[in-house]
Amino acid sequence: MENGNFIVNFLNWLMSFEPKAIVLAASAIGAGLAMIAGIGPGVGQGYAAGKGAEAVSRNPKASRETTITMLLGAAVAETSGILALVVALIMLFGNPLVNLEGNALVIMASALGAGLAMIAGIGPGIGQGYAAGKGTEGVGKRPKLQSQIVRTMLVGQAVAQTTGIYALVIALVLLFANPLLGL
Amino acid sequence: MGSEGFGPRIAFYIGDIPVSETVTVTWLIIFVLGLFSILATRNLKKEPRGLQIIVETLVSTVNNLTKQNMGERNLAFAPFVGTLLLFIGISNIIGLLGFRPPTGDLNTTMCLSITTFVLTQFFGVKRKGIVNYSKGFLQPMPFLLPLNIIGELANPVSLGFRLFGNIVAGIIIMSLLYGALGGFTEMLLGITVPLFQAGVPAVLHIYFDMFAGLLQSFIFTMLTMVFISGAME
Repeated sequence: MENGNFIVNFLNWLMSFEPKAIVLAASAIGAGLAMIAGIGPGVGQGYAAGKGAEAVSRNPKASRETTITMLLGAAVAETSGILALVVALIMLFGNPLVNLEGNALVIMASALGAGLAMIAGIGPGIGQGYAAGKGTEGVGKRPKLQSQIVRTMLVGQAVAQTTGIYALVIALVLLFANPLLGL
Repeated sequence: MGSEGFGPRIAFYIGDIPVSETVTVTWLIIFVLGLFSILATRNLKKEPRGLQIIVETLVSTVNNLTKQNMGERNLAFAPFVGTLLLFIGISNIIGLLGFRPPTGDLNTTMCLSITTFVLTQFFGVKRKGIVNYSKGFLQPMPFLLPLNIIGELANPVSLGFRLFGNIVAGIIIMSLLYGALGGFTEMLLGITVPLFQAGVPAVLHIYFDMFAGLLQSFIFTMLTMVFISGAME
């Protein structure tokens, strides 16, 4: 393999390190990658906040109802970021991959994959934030319908969370019950 | 998370069974809430005074919340909703007293969310009948059955992880901050008295413990009401 192409050289270079060092390095990258999911809640909550400000400016009398709806919706939109944080913290403080026996390359890739999976959180974050914004807008227009609007918003947001949960399940499987190591 | 790092410490052992901080703090909360309920509802008067005013406000708020979100005929859920709100609320803000919040343990939050899940399924079946309720999973198209089932299972998972993640993130950020402030005092002033640890973290405690904690307990309760009443419609 002396004159292999770049990828082969790279893999050989990786394998020249201790297996534990490779896994730890990959966990660090994975934890960082997971937090990219924060983009979603950021955009979504910003949208909700903007809609809240707009609704209050149109109908200042309903500012209490509007603010409560915005906070509820934004807090649900936060979930994807929190899930990513949980995965990142597991990789930092309770990493189950470190003491695992098996091919270092597979374990390394699992750490990276778990982090990459959590990026899916961008979707639910933005989507739930959009729902929160629209709910806030609706409550601003008709404050009396607040409880119905909030209910519909929360049900929709719970469904929108599903893909984020899929990502979390895959990330946790890769971390705690990796099926690839037994192959 | 594992036992090392930021997980709950083991308080003591009963025989071979480890009893973690989560369990002991939960006992404390149960004791305090129980004592409060007994003291507050002793010799109730027609004209409320003292504790009775607080309790009456609390009860009528919970009743109104249940009525608004679950409808007039499901008012029987109000005690459950109120208990959930009080327990999670107290759990989340007990960090202010220096205890480790029980909701910062995945076992507690998943237990609560599985309770919600079981109630949702049970009352869905009870209200609609098993056949009609199962038919709901074939809506709008029969081939969506697996997606509907996974979607239904995703609800308790996201419910439990949302609460756990928020609280545990608060715990970790606060303990990192305390560590950093301690190191900071030693570095700047050269003394081991943790001077900066007094006062500075108060603002973050208000955010992470009071604001985020109470908001998350409200969200958990709201979603519980929405899920249960949604299954019954």
